[in-house]
Amino acid sequence: MRKTLSALTFASAALALASTHAVAGSDTKVALVPGGPHPYFAAWEQAGADAVKDFGIGAGDYRVPQKWELSQQTQLLESLLSQGYNSFLIFPGDAVGTNTAVQEITENGGQALALAGCLKDPTPALFCMGTDTGNSAYLGTKELIKAMGGKGRIAHFTGFLVDPNTQLRIDAVKKAADETNGAVQVVQVIADIDAPQPAEEKINAYLAAHANDVDGIITTAWVPAVTAANSLRKIGDKRIKMVGIDHDEVVLKAIKDGFVNGTMLQNPYGQGYIGSYVLDKLRSGCKIKDNAPWKSNALTAKFVDSGTVFVDASQVDTYVDAMRGISKTLMASMDKDFLSCN
Amino acid sequence: MGGHSLTRIFDNDWIGPALVSAVAIAVISFFQPSFLTPFNIFVLLSAISVNMLVALGQLVIIAVGQMNLALGSIGGLVAICFAAMMELWGFPPVLALAGGFLIGILAGMAGGFVIARTGITAFIITLAGLQIFKGINLGITKAQPFYGVPQSVKDFGNTSMFGPIPWLVLPMIIVSVAVWYLFARLRIGRHILAIGGNRSAAELSGIDVNSTVIWAHGLSGLLAAAAGMMLVARLQLGHPTIGDDWLISSFAAPVIGGAVLSGGHVSVPGTFFGVVIIAIITQALVLFAIDPFVVQIVLGGLILWAVGINRLREARVAKALGHST
Amino acid sequence: MTDLKLIGGEDTAFLPDARPSLAQRLLFSNEFGLLLLIGLAIAIFSVSLPSFTSTFSLFTMGRQIGIDTMIGLAMMTVIVTGGLDLSVGAIGVCSAMFFGWMLQSAGLPVALAIPLAIAFGAGLGFINGVTIVRTGVHSFIITLASMSIFFGVMIFLSKAEAFNSLPPAVLGFGKLRIGTLVSSLLALSLATSVALSILYRFTSGGRRMLAAGANPRAAEISGVRTGRVFIACHMLAGGLAALAGLMVTARTGAAVPAMAGHLGQDWLLPAFLAPVLGGTLLSGGRVAVFGTLLGAALVNIITSGLLQMRVGEFWIQAFLGMLLLAAVLADRARHTLLRRKGMI
Repeated sequence: MRKTLSALTFASAALALASTHAVAGSDTKVALVPGGPHPYFAAWEQAGADAVKDFGIGAGDYRVPQKWELSQQTQLLESLLSQGYNSFLIFPGDAVGTNTAVQEITENGGQALALAGCLKDPTPALFCMGTDTGNSAYLGTKELIKAMGGKGRIAHFTGFLVDPNTQLRIDAVKKAADETNGAVQVVQVIADIDAPQPAEEKINAYLAAHANDVDGIITTAWVPAVTAANSLRKIGDKRIKMVGIDHDEVVLKAIKDGFVNGTMLQNPYGQGYIGSYVLDKLRSGCKIKDNAPWKSNALTAKFVDSGTVFVDASQVDTYVDAMRGISKTLMASMDKDFLSCN
Repeated sequence: MGGHSLTRIFDNDWIGPALVSAVAIAVISFFQPSFLTPFNIFVLLSAISVNMLVALGQLVIIAVGQMNLALGSIGGLVAICFAAMMELWGFPPVLALAGGFLIGILAGMAGGFVIARTGITAFIITLAGLQIFKGINLGITKAQPFYGVPQSVKDFGNTSMFGPIPWLVLPMIIVSVAVWYLFARLRIGRHILAIGGNRSAAELSGIDVNSTVIWAHGLSGLLAAAAGMMLVARLQLGHPTIGDDWLISSFAAPVIGGAVLSGGHVSVPGTFFGVVIIAIITQALVLFAIDPFVVQIVLGGLILWAVGINRLREARVAKALGHST
Repeated sequence: MTDLKLIGGEDTAFLPDARPSLAQRLLFSNEFGLLLLIGLAIAIFSVSLPSFTSTFSLFTMGRQIGIDTMIGLAMMTVIVTGGLDLSVGAIGVCSAMFFGWMLQSAGLPVALAIPLAIAFGAGLGFINGVTIVRTGVHSFIITLASMSIFFGVMIFLSKAEAFNSLPPAVLGFGKLRIGTLVSSLLALSLATSVALSILYRFTSGGRRMLAAGANPRAAEISGVRTGRVFIACHMLAGGLAALAGLMVTARTGAAVPAMAGHLGQDWLLPAFLAPVLGGTLLSGGRVAVFGTLLGAALVNIITSGLLQMRVGEFWIQAFLGMLLLAAVLADRARHTLLRRKGMI
């Protein structure tokens, strides 16, 4: 993780050189607020700090709710608003429930983007930038099916059921399997395993009983990916193919060692960096174009894909470059297609 | 109260849960033969080992008539400190282990000290402790796991002693026997139970209530520390969320095993079977590929079923003790 | 559980013999201690943090206090029996989701949906109560199971989808201000507190609840049908939990399955913290209705003060714990001081 971070910092420096937008002393105060403490968001802290440095934004602070509780996040957002923050990058604690807090922000003269996860329309958030979770799960499953030789049985390990993304992921994995006309089946979905201890108990129990009946594993949440990678290493099974998610050290190492076929990377650094940039632009007079090329997903019609990349053993050492490329393209597209500045 | 007949009922606390466990194992392995494969037994025992220590950590405090809400946060703090000492400072595992135990005992005793000296309810003090220890955990880790766990530690958590018996079972057996011995034979154990049963009577009979309470919390912290470090070995990383979900199961296992929540009566073997029942239920839900959206409903139903079998006796004990529910 | 020595536990022990005056009792009461601490916290935070006393900050703080108070009151009504209800969160979410379904899918008017949702919560509480009384199994285990079952059925039926096109009146109520500062949700909790105080102090039903909780056997002998009383307590808890769920729905403008976290567990902390800080005995038989309100207020004031002080973002929880500890210790010191001065 720490190695990854420094690599990302390097990537950001390169990005900053590429952009020439350094404005000194803007009064934009950006707060980057995840849903709770989680390693996925660690890159946001650096992204916010870099955005302050590169674009002269007033503040780019990473503020974390102490627990994954909707009420804690709401309370933190309200408090940040009282403290004078005016631009918010928010991972919604709930796709519907966080809308009210965003409403409050806009009513009090602030602006907000949904970051890494979307808010459900109708929403007062300007737009949503993040990984298209359903699509990422779908692409990951396609890669898995390819690795399995086009046929076999898949187990799907995922996160909390109260998170609506989980349902999207379950559906997307099933969709990819259904497209094989029965050659590939999803034989089991294990959910609610976002903490390592229950994840380890359930995944091991599953492999103990069904290792021979399953040919592939797709994981669509951070903790299950780490745990499943460890379990496959433990039983030393390279027959079972697996596609993970995110860039945890354990998963990356398992890819190098051949226990995991690949992982669906997301782009948290780019989200935080570009998100801060866009909010600052919008406060300094830019407008979002009416004809901006929005994508849409199950939650919102104003979605910008921050990029997702499948990384296998051949790219695991250079994936930062791939992410940097995506971020650069996205940044340029923001200037050209999404913002109109006079 | 008929002391003699009561003792007889208490001695058999474990029979009900043991029966439930046996029936559950028989039924599950009939429908799902892979349940009794060596690897699955290994997986089951690894889970039981850690959860037993967690349950015992709470059991000690239940015995003294209090509750320890900080159990999980102490275990979690020790877990990440254990991993951090090895990753950041390059401590050998044995030294880190000693450091971890020390942190656990001190954290537990600190809570016990405040409870004993101020007389404020343990609920509030351990709740404050929960916030403090979890906060320190997050402050140190910033929600990032520590990965630098030496291979020897990982092996301890993931290899078997012989056959399907994981090494993790070893600390569980040692600790369970020790705690059983403590309550059955040692003076401090009897004092803990006496205070839990009737605090003022214990005080009148000359028991040093304060220091007993402090030691009980120290012991609880020690057990939480052991469980936390065992989890680091099993999960192969020092994850900041370790301990977050211990609370409810730490109470459920002793209570299924016949402990009286108001104190004074606990059963180590009963708690063991309580842990076994919970582990089996968790596994069964996975083995039978229950629709994830139904898992919670089935889980709740199974808890009721497990308790139902034990119901009559438990009600009898409660009545005999004069406690209402 | 029978940890009888709570904060200020002595005053109950003193009362029968010493018979202190009303003023002395007031000085010694938990509520007074909490008020002092709240005053102290507000003084410190408003001097050091200009944003702390802004209208917006005070309004949002009050709203959160309102919700936490209602959650705390729901748990308090069961703590009275000497038991507890782990399923308050699950009942709250289930009732809120039922409320959302009635408005959005069944098209019922709000005025009808509110009482039905509260009755629904009371019904779930009834299931808890009857099971506990009939089986004689500790409420911890029964509500642990029912928490799982209630929440599981809700997730199964809703597929975790929120109801987010509720009539605007719902969100309107959540945003309503009385004057400029007081949230409607806080006012609702205040009104509920008054009603509960009247129940426990002036009605025979409420007094029976206290008597049955303090000593079920004695109450039984003196003619109280404790089983029925306990069931009533659980129904009351269910109804209040439902009301808390509706309040969160009003604040959010939507019925969200994640409003109380996985299994509704997020509510457990405020549910226990407020009444116990307020002076409710976990062993039953004693309530502190306004103490619960003040307990919720203290916790929320400290939390928002800390959030605004911008202490290192990952350390807030540790500071919160230490302040909580400092607060109860300060209260304890006040008792000792009062006793030493011979005030009681």
